Amino acid sequence: MIAAAVFFYLFSAVAVASAFMVIASRNPVHSVLFLILTFANVTGLFILLGAEFLGLLLIIVYVGAVAVLFLFVVMMLDVDFAELKKGALQYMPVGALVGLVLLAELVMIIGAWLAPAGVPRTVAAPIPPAAQITNTEALARVLYTDFVFYFQAAGLVLLVAMIGAIVLTLRHKPNVRRQDISRQVARNKEDVIELRKVPFRRGL
Amino acid sequence: MTAAAIFPALPLFLPELLLAGGALALLLIGAFAGPRSTAFVNGMTLLLLIVAGALVAMQPEGRTIAFNGAFVVDGFGRFMKVLALIGAAGALMLSFDDFRQRRLSAFEYPVLVLLSVTGMMVMISAGDLIALYIGLELQSLAIYVICAFDRDSTRSTEAGLKYFVLGALSSGMLLYGASLIYGFTGTVSFAGIAAAVTGAPHSGVIFGLAFLAAGLAFKMSAVPFHMWTPDVYEGAPTPVTAFLASAPKVAAVAITVRVLVGAFPGITGQWQQIIVFVSFASMALGAFAAIGQHNIKRLMAYSSIGHMGFALVGLAAGTEQGVYGVLLYMAIYVAMTLGVFACIVSMRRNGQPVEAISDLAGLSKQHPAMAYLFALLMFSLAGIPPLAGFFAKFYVFAAAIQAKLTLLAVFGILTSVVGAFYYLRIVKVMFFDEPKEALDPMPGAAKLVLALSSIVTVGYFVAPALLNVVAVAAAKTLF
Amino acid sequence: MYHAIVFLPLAGFLIAGLFGRIMGARASEIVTTSLLFVSAALSWVVFWQVAYQSGPVHVTIVNWMTSGGLAADWALKIDTLTAVMLVVVNTVSALVHLYSIGYMHEDPSRPRFFAYLSLFTFAMLMLVTADNLVQMFFGWEGVGLASYLLIGFWYEKPSANAAAMKAFVVNRVGDFGFLLGIFIVFVMTGSVAFDQIFPKAAEMAGKTFHFLGYDWNAMTIACLMLFMGAMGKSAQFLLHTWLPDAMEGPTPVSALIHAATMVTAGVFMVARLTPLFELAPTALVVMTVVGATTAFFAATVGLVQNDIKRVIAYSTCSQLGYMFVALGVGAFGAGVFHLFTHAFFKALLFLGAGSVIHACHHEQDMRNMGGLRKYIPYTMIAMLIGNLALTGFPYTAGYFSKDAIIESAFASHSPAATYAFLCVVIAALFTSFYSWRLFFMTFFGEPRWKHHDAHGHEDHASAAHGRDDHAHAGHGHGDHTPHESPMVMMIPLAVLSVGALVAGAVFAGSFIGDNYEQFWKGALFTAKDNHILHDIHHVPLWVKLSPMIMMILGFVIAWWFYVKNPALPKQLAADQPILYRFLLNKWYFDEIYDFLFVRPAKWIGSFLWKKGDGWLIDGFGPDGVSARVVDVARGAVRLQSGYLYHYAFAMLIGVAILVTWYLVGGAH
Repeated sequence: MIAAAVFFYLFSAVAVASAFMVIASRNPVHSVLFLILTFANVTGLFILLGAEFLGLLLIIVYVGAVAVLFLFVVMMLDVDFAELKKGALQYMPVGALVGLVLLAELVMIIGAWLAPAGVPRTVAAPIPPAAQITNTEALARVLYTDFVFYFQAAGLVLLVAMIGAIVLTLRHKPNVRRQDISRQVARNKEDVIELRKVPFRRGL
Repeated sequence: MTAAAIFPALPLFLPELLLAGGALALLLIGAFAGPRSTAFVNGMTLLLLIVAGALVAMQPEGRTIAFNGAFVVDGFGRFMKVLALIGAAGALMLSFDDFRQRRLSAFEYPVLVLLSVTGMMVMISAGDLIALYIGLELQSLAIYVICAFDRDSTRSTEAGLKYFVLGALSSGMLLYGASLIYGFTGTVSFAGIAAAVTGAPHSGVIFGLAFLAAGLAFKMSAVPFHMWTPDVYEGAPTPVTAFLASAPKVAAVAITVRVLVGAFPGITGQWQQIIVFVSFASMALGAFAAIGQHNIKRLMAYSSIGHMGFALVGLAAGTEQGVYGVLLYMAIYVAMTLGVFACIVSMRRNGQPVEAISDLAGLSKQHPAMAYLFALLMFSLAGIPPLAGFFAKFYVFAAAIQAKLTLLAVFGILTSVVGAFYYLRIVKVMFFDEPKEALDPMPGAAKLVLALSSIVTVGYFVAPALLNVVAVAAAKTLF
Repeated sequence: MYHAIVFLPLAGFLIAGLFGRIMGARASEIVTTSLLFVSAALSWVVFWQVAYQSGPVHVTIVNWMTSGGLAADWALKIDTLTAVMLVVVNTVSALVHLYSIGYMHEDPSRPRFFAYLSLFTFAMLMLVTADNLVQMFFGWEGVGLASYLLIGFWYEKPSANAAAMKAFVVNRVGDFGFLLGIFIVFVMTGSVAFDQIFPKAAEMAGKTFHFLGYDWNAMTIACLMLFMGAMGKSAQFLLHTWLPDAMEGPTPVSALIHAATMVTAGVFMVARLTPLFELAPTALVVMTVVGATTAFFAATVGLVQNDIKRVIAYSTCSQLGYMFVALGVGAFGAGVFHLFTHAFFKALLFLGAGSVIHACHHEQDMRNMGGLRKYIPYTMIAMLIGNLALTGFPYTAGYFSKDAIIESAFASHSPAATYAFLCVVIAALFTSFYSWRLFFMTFFGEPRWKHHDAHGHEDHASAAHGRDDHAHAGHGHGDHTPHESPMVMMIPLAVLSVGALVAGAVFAGSFIGDNYEQFWKGALFTAKDNHILHDIHHVPLWVKLSPMIMMILGFVIAWWFYVKNPALPKQLAADQPILYRFLLNKWYFDEIYDFLFVRPAKWIGSFLWKKGDGWLIDGFGPDGVSARVVDVARGAVRLQSGYLYHYAFAMLIGVAILVTWYLVGGAH
């Protein structure tokens, strides 16, 4: 158990530290890299908790797709974050104050939660032991049954996101020449090629 | 839950199913038929909204649940759903002509409206925090998109972006609050939370509640989470603003009432303070900030902030009487708002939309009927008897006084006096200022919406029982 | 008949006031004047019936108001006193109407003028026929209103507006007292009707009320308060300042309102309330002193005035003082008799002065007159008769009434009466002097108007008659020779001359003589031990002769100063500059009041206006609220910066506030 505790604190500490670095680093590329580090550590935490499916999903989806996409975007846009952050400094004192207040309050609450053990620690759907059923299977069993409503509704949310992206960005520019495969295939020699007899030294 | 368990519940979520399925079908039709299909999709969407409204109205009385309590059908929800559907249908009708003139017509718009309304219905019916969040996101995400629908306009895209970023922030807060509540109570279902939170709850729950309320207040555009409202209202295409001002407000108020009354009845005294504060601030800001406005859409933004403040007065009471007041308030608010936006949408000069209040100058001479009805709605918004707006305020203030929140009620009356100033200023501009070049005549759909709205505004005084009886029954199901 | 007397002037007012513009000036004049003549004729009939035949009449018109214990009818109480007043008011009013047709013929708003005149007459009739204090107050305020309107008739002139306001404001002081008096009487007797008050007067006399830690004699205080009202209306000492200024109005108005009728309302009121005043000896002493002082003071000021109307105005003031002396010493009949005769000769003098002014093209300064006897002989005769009556030439009207007052002042042996006797005798000398001074300056001596007539005329015409451009139809601008007034103006002069000559001789026996009881029939209450009207027959001979001597002395001095040796007055004025200026400036009353009341009032007013109203009420009330609303609105708008991070920050602060609220104070 000690090893588990050591790893828990290691992952947690690195996750928090790298999350801080995401917003603190001056170079946006570094920020994205720190974000990836955070994801990796959170994956470790998931696996420690026995949720290996979620952990691996995080690596595959977030690190493999989302974060890499971020990296491309950041590199392509070449945004000068230092310039953007300049104005924000003047709000630092107030922002820091508000943040500190919230942090202090959170600490108070967490402390109050840890101190008395009377708070119910009921869990609605505990993770079944790995010996009986795999993590993935356990998820799959409820996803289309108990949680079909959430699942479908979430699907609609993603659909909206897709429609939105298309609506807001897709443009049919009339002057752009596009490849039209069916037209290419349907072309034949007779329609597009005309042979002319050109008279000598006179041109067309 | 198995198929055998799902199908008996089918009538409960049939309206939502119809809307979602309809949206998918219309999306396919539009995608394959192209821009030609826009009119058809528009018409079908309107039809779907109406049919869904009828289905909701025909659902069984009393409270029934589905999906392990994630989906609740009761009188309260049905009342609010019908309102949201009416608001969406009205706003959609206003969009037909406007979008055609702006060359914005696209089949995606009605589909997005449909999906957004689906989200609202999920939200209104939510029985736990997860359904709440998914519904809220479904609703919001579609609205972010339609705010930026006029993508060639800087203001429109700016509005969409602002709303999106701030909405993400508010969603974050809401989620944070929800996770705290889950952490401290061990359940996400409202009923479970209500059972867990009694007496003197752990401060973590209240902490979570504060964050949750902040997220919901953002959706209601209540102060201090209102900042997006004027910019978005102004920037978005006018029919979208009309939609924003009506249906989502209903949904947000509905879910706020349901969460607070349904999940935290044990600590009414605690959340009352949040609502009182938010209500105070909203009424004050709505009254004062609107005074300096020159753009009528911006003015309506502050107006709606103020009206949310008034509606929350009823919620602050925390009683059945108060919820009854909220229901009535929202019903009358939706009717008035649609009418006002029917007029605003029709504000065009030589085909170009105009939005300044001064553009209304001399309207009484050019379009007397429109001017008189507009003035009527303004009087109603200001809360002048015997128009419906007065009774709306009356019921919430009465509930507040019964709940010993006299100070709040008095403050509400004072701010409504201040608010009357800017409503009456519009009337003054229409009737007493030197006319400018005439506005274009109103399109037919807008005329219809304005007429229906005016009938409700005036007719409520004649037959209040039609609405009151339903609202009383609806309020009862929450307690 | 009684209704007709009271309501014909009202009808005239309504017709001329409402339809004057439509039917034109001439028709308005004819309607109002003829109605007034009918009314005047009826008044004489009533006077004959009531005074010499059947006795008092009481006509109830309508129950006016009933509120708790307060019941006031609108009724006509017509006894001898009222009948006398009816005769005075309607006769003078009718003559003034007629006279105005000539005097005002250049004025474009004649319908308005005649409407006001008739309104005044109606209000005055309401006053004199009142059968209760409330109705009397109604008439009292009605004449005040009409007076205000008529003084300010030429409202383009700032001085006329100022004079109208002054008259109104000064009268408010008196009215305040009158109202308090009415209140006390109502509280003490539970009624405002004369018929119910008078029987209770005796029991009221003993009562006291507690106020400011003292027990006050109710009757004394009530009578003093009522007398204060009379002082305001009758321009008595301290409240007299409005009367000379009121001469800004057209001259017929001065004759009607400020000589014959309205200013005597105070005298009438005291006479009407004699059952109360007779039981308040302190009030009577005060009245005597005030009246005597007024008589003396006004006469001294009249000595040096140069404006022909102001001389007569101060004379009026002085004569009113005589009346109050008579009332104060208990010779009520003499007081009312002097009121009666004074109405004739003072109206005569004013109308005569008006004729002079008319002749001189609205020149009012006597220094610019002189030698007019050749040009306007008839006016001169009228003025002569008026002067004789005023100064008390034997067997003219003034002789009977004025001598009776002087004798009764002597016959009443109290210290106050002795003071009054001295005052009125000296005042008689002054009266004679200023009357003849006026006469000589106007009609004798070198014509002073020729030298600077063009200049003086233009100046004064525009000053006195600001509104009309004085076209002088019929006599062109080159001709400024004084001219005799038209017939419509001369007839009233003739009628009043007759009155001034014979009214005294005819009615002396009734008013103050042997037929006293039969004539008054109890309209004037006299206490059982009040025998003053008998005592005056037993005063020493020198007392009886003193007015005559004073009159002759005054005449001689005036003749010496203004006919024989015209340089003397200026020299005298130069020798005694302080006294001269003191008198010329009317004892500096206007200046003192300006310092004592007007400036502090203005200061308080401007303080309340700027600080109280502007700063406090407006600042925190309407303006403040609206300004704060705008400020708040501006602030709220400024919050709306448009920057995303501002908005996000506002949300974070909001949530922080909510959370902190709970953790610190809200929860648990």
